[in-house]
Amino acid sequence: MEGVLFPHGVPEGREELKDYRARGGYQALEKSLKGSPDELIKIVSDAGLRGRGGAGFATGKKWQFTREAPEQPRYLVLNGGEDEPGSKKDRVLLENLPHLVLEGTILGAYAIGASKAYLYINARYDDALKSIQDALAEAEAAGYYGSNVLGSGFDLEIEIVPAPHNYVAGEDTAAIEVIEGKKAWPRQKPPFPVTVGLFGKPTSVNNVETLANVPPIVLKGADWYRRFGTAESAGTMLFSLNDDVNRPGVYELPFGTPLRYLIEECGGGMKGGQKIKAIMPAAPSSAFLPPEKIDTPLDHNSMREAGSALGCGVVKLVAEGTCIVEELIKIADFFATESCGQCPACRMETSSLAMMLKKVQAGQGGMPMLEQFGKIIAFNKGKGFCNLIAMPGPPIESAIKLFPGDFQAHLTTGKCPVN
Amino acid sequence: MARICLVCQNIDCKSRGSERLTTELAQKIAAKGIKDVEVKPYMCFGACQEGPNIVLYPEKSWYAKVQPQDLDDIVEHLAGGPHVQRLDTIDSSLKDLIYQLLDTGVF
Repeated sequence: MEGVLFPHGVPEGREELKDYRARGGYQALEKSLKGSPDELIKIVSDAGLRGRGGAGFATGKKWQFTREAPEQPRYLVLNGGEDEPGSKKDRVLLENLPHLVLEGTILGAYAIGASKAYLYINARYDDALKSIQDALAEAEAAGYYGSNVLGSGFDLEIEIVPAPHNYVAGEDTAAIEVIEGKKAWPRQKPPFPVTVGLFGKPTSVNNVETLANVPPIVLKGADWYRRFGTAESAGTMLFSLNDDVNRPGVYELPFGTPLRYLIEECGGGMKGGQKIKAIMPAAPSSAFLPPEKIDTPLDHNSMREAGSALGCGVVKLVAEGTCIVEELIKIADFFATESCGQCPACRMETSSLAMMLKKVQAGQGGMPMLEQFGKIIAFNKGKGFCNLIAMPGPPIESAIKLFPGDFQAHLTTGKCPVN
Repeated sequence: MARICLVCQNIDCKSRGSERLTTELAQKIAAKGIKDVEVKPYMCFGACQEGPNIVLYPEKSWYAKVQPQDLDDIVEHLAGGPHVQRLDTIDSSLKDLIYQLLDTGVF
């Protein structure tokens, strides 16, 4: 299948500058620098590119807001703070296709009129950091960034900032705080970074995969890009599969591809031929889907209609014979640990949910406790600076609805229905 | 059922001295000769700005912004004295949520 990011299959090893150029690399930059930033924003908007970090916001719109913000200077942040359990798509791009990522970053900076771009990359990604450093040296020597890029008069500095390896550090305003030399604590929004971002200036924070889509869009056009995917989710998306399938890996699929294709054709089905009990299309924070929904198309609208979300494409499978309560404890503990602690409601919610699930597991509390989950989640809705407060809710509430028997067994007998 | 004094131990309450309150409250209860009250830490009541928070259960009294000098009045209450009205400042919707949780055994 033809792809946007992986036209020749999943890349192996770092692509060097000469190889990238041999397949049209940096031609999108040459082309764009001859036109105006507004033209570049228009192509990206026409292509319908949406952010790949999880929220799915329109990239052209984000750039336009940043460009139109009156303050100067403006900044672009490449967000490679990827730290979702099981997500590895940004790492694959940074390690193997650093020039594609870099060209997308330079294009983004040109679009918004930024004179400085920060490459914010998970500090644990040693190979990715090395790969990007080497690519930066090659690109600078070739004149793709620095002063007067390719004789256009556009100046761009680029700096790498290692991202702390905790979950909230990947949130856009937390990234901004880290680049400013502070703790990875999300800021209250509004104001949004597009108007008040890094050092108080207009800033566009874009995910690695989002920016990697920009060079092919510019080179081949919006119409070509829209041949992939659906009307509202154009293009392709990278999906991460992990050890619960036979062939773990990162797969590029057009939006709208049935979930079944990803799991069965790409992943080779569940490991050991196990049957699927539940599917989490955007681990660890989306609602579980029952196996009957395996034909749901992988796009934002279809997933929402099915009762879940697409997130950043980490698809997790739960096997028949797994207790959902045990699975939820892992998820709730993750959020309780990863809550940065600055918002009281988030602290209370995440720690209460984790504790309540452990009470369920131990058979303490009785059936009325099940009603308390929804109450805690509803009470705290929207009370955090970032979205972490909204994350444990969908897995827990969907699990109670789909697998009441697992909860009942724990609460009434004090025993796990499975183990 | 034995009575419980739950003292919040999350970041804000702790930074405002909830550990000291836990120890002193237990000592004062013992000194007063109250036998059926246990002082226990609690993870978070979600009223961090109002901390340190102490909740008496099962009678459901919530005391906020508790200072060491307030402990004698709380102990008096536990010994049958009056409710300490000046410390009862928490919004009723949060109280209801937490009391329901406690009723289902979350402590």
